[in-house]
Amino acid sequence: MPFDQKRINGPEVSVPYSVYTDVNKSKSSKPKKSLHKRVDGREHKDLRKIFVKTGVISQAKGSAYIEVGITKVVCSVFDPREIPNKNEYSLQGELFCEFKYAPFACAKRRIHQQDAEEKEFSLVMQRSLEPAVCRQEFPNFQVDVYALVLDNGGSSLAAAIMCASLALADASVPMFGLVTAVSAGFYKDTMFLDLTVEEEVLCNSAPAKPNPPNNHGLIMQAALPQHDQISEFFLVGSINIDCIKQAIETLTVANKNICPVVQQCLVKTVLRALKRKEQEKN
Amino acid sequence: MANTLLSLAEKTFIVHGVDDNYRTDGRNRSEYRPMEVETKVLPHTSGSARLRLANTDILVGVKAEVDTPYPDNPNEGKLEFFVDCSANATPAFEGKGGDNLGTEISNTLTLAYQSSHVLDLTTLCILPQQKCWKLYVDVLILQCDGNLFDAVALAVKAALYSAQIPKVTTATLDGGKADIQLSDDPFDCVKLDVGSFPVLVTLCKNFTFIQIGENCVVDPTSEEEECSAASIVVAVMPNGRITSVVKTGYGSLQPSTLVKTLELAKDIGIKLNAGIMNALKEEDELGSQREIFGFLK
Amino acid sequence: MASQYKTIHPVKYLRDYLAQDIRPDGREFLRFRSASVNVGAISQADSSAIFKIGSTTVVCGIKAELAAPKADTPNCGYLIPNVELSPLCSPKFRPGPPSDQAQVASKTIDDILINSSALDLTDLCVCIDKLVWVLYCDLICIDYDGSVTDACLGALVAALKSLTLPEVQHNPETGAIVVDTSDRKPFPLKSLPVSTTFAIFDEQLLLADPTDEEESLAKGKLCLVIDGPELCGLYKPGGIPISQELLSKSLEKSKKRADLIRKVIEAAVTN
Repeated sequence: MPFDQKRINGPEVSVPYSVYTDVNKSKSSKPKKSLHKRVDGREHKDLRKIFVKTGVISQAKGSAYIEVGITKVVCSVFDPREIPNKNEYSLQGELFCEFKYAPFACAKRRIHQQDAEEKEFSLVMQRSLEPAVCRQEFPNFQVDVYALVLDNGGSSLAAAIMCASLALADASVPMFGLVTAVSAGFYKDTMFLDLTVEEEVLCNSAPAKPNPPNNHGLIMQAALPQHDQISEFFLVGSINIDCIKQAIETLTVANKNICPVVQQCLVKTVLRALKRKEQEKN
Repeated sequence: MANTLLSLAEKTFIVHGVDDNYRTDGRNRSEYRPMEVETKVLPHTSGSARLRLANTDILVGVKAEVDTPYPDNPNEGKLEFFVDCSANATPAFEGKGGDNLGTEISNTLTLAYQSSHVLDLTTLCILPQQKCWKLYVDVLILQCDGNLFDAVALAVKAALYSAQIPKVTTATLDGGKADIQLSDDPFDCVKLDVGSFPVLVTLCKNFTFIQIGENCVVDPTSEEEECSAASIVVAVMPNGRITSVVKTGYGSLQPSTLVKTLELAKDIGIKLNAGIMNALKEEDELGSQREIFGFLK
Repeated sequence: MASQYKTIHPVKYLRDYLAQDIRPDGREFLRFRSASVNVGAISQADSSAIFKIGSTTVVCGIKAELAAPKADTPNCGYLIPNVELSPLCSPKFRPGPPSDQAQVASKTIDDILINSSALDLTDLCVCIDKLVWVLYCDLICIDYDGSVTDACLGALVAALKSLTLPEVQHNPETGAIVVDTSDRKPFPLKSLPVSTTFAIFDEQLLLADPTDEEESLAKGKLCLVIDGPELCGLYKPGGIPISQELLSKSLEKSKKRADLIRKVIEAAVTN
């Protein structure tokens, strides 16, 4: 790790203690088992419980907090500002997204700077949200969206996207609709929905015998369920087309099912805002 | 992408043309422009290729270096992509202008090659935990006339096909330190198995201001890219499997359209893979004495 | 109406309130905001705490790793506290390297911990000169609304109080290390230092537990750290001078506050 003058630095080399744990003891629950029954007892097509809340950060224009299983993400949105370092006038406003894991959010400690994965996820977030935002309403301005994963229990990208769309709505950024996102994973012929970390690792690794080829991979689909539109489709792995088709169908339904939860939260936000206005008047 | 200014009338013309399956340069919607590919153009690299797709001009160099594997994956080699958008290509790439696009393309390539079905990184390992090959794939965009993703992926595949990694004759552990020796004969090399390397197929969708149903075009020119709100970049393996899907642009699409787009991408990807492999084999048959054209043409 | 007035004349807005012996959020001058703490919410960290003072929120997560000790302190472990004032928590911060405020906050927290003798770094030693624990304590501010140092210290102390470390067996001859995660021992924290921040306005006016708005308009800041019955740190970074009488008043107030905060943390940890 490069020496960082602006932080308090630890020793040059340090090793997470999990490296030294007794492998036989700790890995009693082999991930392969989840092919028949998932570790947390869900069916393969079940989603985890979702909790959402807006207005959690007093200093931000809009903010939201989401919990999906043990995954916890906070997101904040700030006032538009002029697009920095740009000389040309841009007719459409821009979204700037930053996706970051807290250093303690994953099994392995993360460094403070954004790594390649986080940068990639920031771009995915931006592409998922852009179709939902009326960007022509704020030409030459940029809205900053920051998402921070406090605890990664899998599918944190999907959670961050939903959280960001709520935060944008909470900040009264004009939007065409809400964005929801669900992740899916393939391992051999099994499709998992709303993955946990262990399932993400499993689906990322290729099954041993590639002949005949086995599926493996991750899919994240962000959608505007109110308009029946897919705003982002992000796939990594090696999957055949029929399975992808099946996944799109399942994910579209799942996105539609999540929508009411997010909408309800927004209704509460609006009611709260109205109440506050009423109080100010009196 | 590259700055092409189009008036509303010009855009309408292009979009109506696409609607009638007749594009401004006379192609139909699923036709590619002519391509030229030549490998081994850079003698100092392990492998290289130059690809021209109409006026899009890509140069790729592959370098192999000995490196230490990551502690997480002790028996895997490394593969790294870097895309440089040269300011030669378009004035928009001046300074840091091309950085975003460059990162986007290299990220997409990384995703497309991530699965071990594509490239088994264990084949690049020399001694577990000690030594492995690291392949640097450097892409230089010399000229830009639309459809960068497809052109870059094809050029990368061609360059990796031509790549020759020196043969390791002995690899032993000597008191905890790795000791490797390469073959003395510079022509004694290992080639990569490109049989499952994917190509990228970009399908331009959702033309701005006019919804043109489920029509999408492959190999868009920069003018056509200007009219498009969203494109789907699909990495297709020669056997038709899909290794990555990325959406670019600010638009969104309907689920049914997405499914159709992916199917189309798969069919085109299979053909494209076969095409490039044929071309590379043909070039191979010319033997090692073939004349290298490079940039003379 | 009030909100426009506030944006146009922020100083006058606050002054008007203070002239009426009240603060914009309805508190008296020396009233603190309510504090709450939640321990162990983050599953991936070895221990964690979320500390809230009013709307100021700080999350602390501790990750324990193993490393070789420094040559000059062979029996001491490492404690690495870093405060992150991310752009998420306030429009005052931009992405990029830590701001000056963040660096100052990290250093302050580090100093407080070293000076308070709340923890003994030799407790982090596994094998002298060979292996020690490194505690990476990352303090992330989620909501920046004043008195962040108090919240950071509260979160850190609560996280340390609830920290357990697995048993390590180290063979000095072979260098083999075996970690038994099923056998975790609590980390001994000697005391619970608590900091309290005051904002100083001219006319020798003192505001306890200032919000961000008050903090940015204040003429000076005073931060007292109480450890048990004693004062173990006092930070007054510049600003206007403060009278003896006011200082002893603030000391008295902060002692009472420290007792309360300590109870809150202990209650959260035992639950």
